[in-house]
Amino acid sequence: MATQTALHSPSTDTGGRSVVIRGQDVGKTFGGGAVVALEGASFEIPKGAFVSLVGPSGCGKSTLLRLISGLIDRTSGELTVHGKPVSGPHTDVGMMFQRATLLDWRTSLENVLLPSEITRTPTRADKDRAAELLRLVGLKDFLFAFPSQLSGGMQQRVALARLLQTGADILLLDEPFGALDEFTRERLNIELMRIVAEVGATTLFVTHNIAEAIFLADQVFVMTPRPGRIVEIVDVPFERPRPLSIQTSPEFNALVARVRDLFGGVH
Amino acid sequence: MAVQEIAGVTAPPGRGLSIGQRRALTHAAIFISLIGLWEAASRLGWLDPLFYPRPSDILVSFWLIYVQNGNVGWNLYVTLGLVLAGWVAGSVLGVGLGALVGFNPLVRRFLKPYVIVLEATPRIAVAPLLIAALGFGAPSKIAIIMLVCFFAPFINTLSGVVNVDPGRMELFRSLRASKLQVMRKLVLPDAVPVIMAGERLALTAALSGALVAEFIQRDQGIGSMILIYTRNLNMASAFACIFTLTIVGFLMFKGMELVDQRVAYWKNEAGLKRVSDRRRARAQAEGVI
Amino acid sequence: MTTRALPFPVGLLRLLPHLALFLALMVLWELAVRWGFITSIIIPRPSAIVGAIGKLYVTEGTIYRHFVITLTAAVGGFLIGAGIAVTLAVWSSLSEPFKRYVSPYAIVLNVTPGIALTPIIIAWFGYGIGSKIALAAVICFFPIFVNTLTGLTERDEDREELFRSVGASPRQVFVKLRVPAALPLMFAGLKIGLTTALIGAVVAEFAQATAGVGVLMGRFSFALDMASSLATLLSMTLIGLILFYAMEFLDDRIVFWRREARMSAVSQARARAWKSGNGE
Repeated sequence: MATQTALHSPSTDTGGRSVVIRGQDVGKTFGGGAVVALEGASFEIPKGAFVSLVGPSGCGKSTLLRLISGLIDRTSGELTVHGKPVSGPHTDVGMMFQRATLLDWRTSLENVLLPSEITRTPTRADKDRAAELLRLVGLKDFLFAFPSQLSGGMQQRVALARLLQTGADILLLDEPFGALDEFTRERLNIELMRIVAEVGATTLFVTHNIAEAIFLADQVFVMTPRPGRIVEIVDVPFERPRPLSIQTSPEFNALVARVRDLFGGVH
Repeated sequence: MAVQEIAGVTAPPGRGLSIGQRRALTHAAIFISLIGLWEAASRLGWLDPLFYPRPSDILVSFWLIYVQNGNVGWNLYVTLGLVLAGWVAGSVLGVGLGALVGFNPLVRRFLKPYVIVLEATPRIAVAPLLIAALGFGAPSKIAIIMLVCFFAPFINTLSGVVNVDPGRMELFRSLRASKLQVMRKLVLPDAVPVIMAGERLALTAALSGALVAEFIQRDQGIGSMILIYTRNLNMASAFACIFTLTIVGFLMFKGMELVDQRVAYWKNEAGLKRVSDRRRARAQAEGVI
Repeated sequence: MTTRALPFPVGLLRLLPHLALFLALMVLWELAVRWGFITSIIIPRPSAIVGAIGKLYVTEGTIYRHFVITLTAAVGGFLIGAGIAVTLAVWSSLSEPFKRYVSPYAIVLNVTPGIALTPIIIAWFGYGIGSKIALAAVICFFPIFVNTLTGLTERDEDREELFRSVGASPRQVFVKLRVPAALPLMFAGLKIGLTTALIGAVVAEFAQATAGVGVLMGRFSFALDMASSLATLLSMTLIGLILFYAMEFLDDRIVFWRREARMSAVSQARARAWKSGNGE
């Protein structure tokens, strides 16, 4: 009975868009229950939304991302992507990490082609798309450069293009620009917003920077550690496209203060 | 480096020689005085020329063994043939076993004590045993070389395969790559520089192994030449053979360096540029860009 | 190494599968020889090897003299080779001209197979222990020299600047920064060098000597006494293991900050020393 209702339950109406990821009481423990990495996470993410996961180290934000990607299995609760329960890595999602994890022996173009090579023999169309994506991330002059010849920011751009090459409509980004300097990070954030809007992807973005989380997202999952849990889901009302200048507006700062208070409350 | 640059700035101008030229001269001067000292010490009777040959005598011996007798050519050919055969066999075995063990955690666990024991054993010590088992001649020599140079490629391949970056592994998992794809597209290319380092060590070990095998068998090859010349107290010729091995060793070293730079092209500037240019040309021919 | 800290039963449990596999292999080998799948002249039975070990170590006890001679030669050669290598490496790291004019000779020494010198060294130093020590010293020199020099010349600019900013003398920079920073690489070189020194001692014994495990090995092999040869080979492994673990022990003590367990032990010891020094 329970499964039937789950299968046929209509997508909750979130602003007229269907839900692509749904979590109900999702939990993850390590070491046979000794370490609770995530507890009781319930949420719904509508199609095309940009969600930020913000919180200090150990709050379970990376764990939640890996659960959604299927890289690790949950220990309790329900978790569905496109209505199907998650079990094992699946092609609906693509991941990007803090380190670019490019292969040193491949050019940018070949690195971007990797996801296509894993699923099939790359066609001419795949190659054209890879080149096109590298142009989209601003690397049209570096198609044949090797990773060691690129700066950290450029390497992350290649990793982003590789993520888009998977064709996944859900992008999971685990502090993708966390190792870069402030200026590079800000520029890449703006480009990221432009690019995901262009491809219409649903995006989950992990960060520990409150202002960054708010600036990028439609929804901010505020998470706290020991045990890791989502304490509140904050809606961000600002219009898109967002100029950098909104970060100095009183409304923005009020929102930052509100999120910071949520952390202050538990310490 | 900083010291050299400062020296360049403060060097008195107008001596007509560049720093490089002056250094080359100093090198030459040191070398010539060392040789001169050696020659003089021998002529003045401080060194017994029977045991410590004069540089001039070694030079004469070079002419003898290369031109007049010409026996070094054949013997060198024999030794290098053995080295090549043993090295190739040992490498194939080492890399193959290393990859096999690396990919199989269970085998790895049970093999570990044996690897530790093998590592601690002076592997060249099996030379007399192998000769006793396989008899005199090329087969036992090749077996010795193979055994001596098997270990470095084995252990390096093993560690290259085992020490895969976890971040990259996670990427491949998230792309749902098969085991075979992980191996072909991630693990093996990633291990290439480490494997090449193992091959370099193996080639050096192979030459040493060949020499020990020839010392014991005393039939042919440059090792036998050294042994026999020394026995006859023809030390100058023995030294000429050893300096020949220096040249051989140097050529092997440079050759491996060259191969390494081509195979692990992403580890050096020139290789990156070369491959990058080639791939761009290919993509242009295909019309991708 | 970790098994040492484990309670006995767990260590034993972990060892059991290994022991089982080892015994199974031995039985298989024994049977293969007994049933004639393998010629016992080339590959002796495990029981024959055990018998040979018993003879060498217990009933006749012939091995000990040779064992000690080879061990002494390897260690002696290692100490001489390492002493020269470290001295030259330190000198090279301190003096740019010295390094520049000495390095070509070091390269020549590196590309020449040191083993090739065996007959000449025997001619120079005779059939006794001298030639073994000399060959061991010659062939263990290079790995120690190159690792020590690399360790000493790899400069950490930030740390050097920190030392200069607090007014450290060049001597202090060398002693308090460069030497400790070079120790891990130097020990890696010393470990390789020690193994190489053993090879040098054994090869010198093959070529010409009157005592040592290498001599024993040659003698048994040419008498086609394969069981005794293999028993002698295992003795060489034993020497290798003794040397390796001795070096590992020193490495563990001196370069303690590279290992988790040792680091916390040293940390606790220093905390105790601090407390007693402050009269607590």
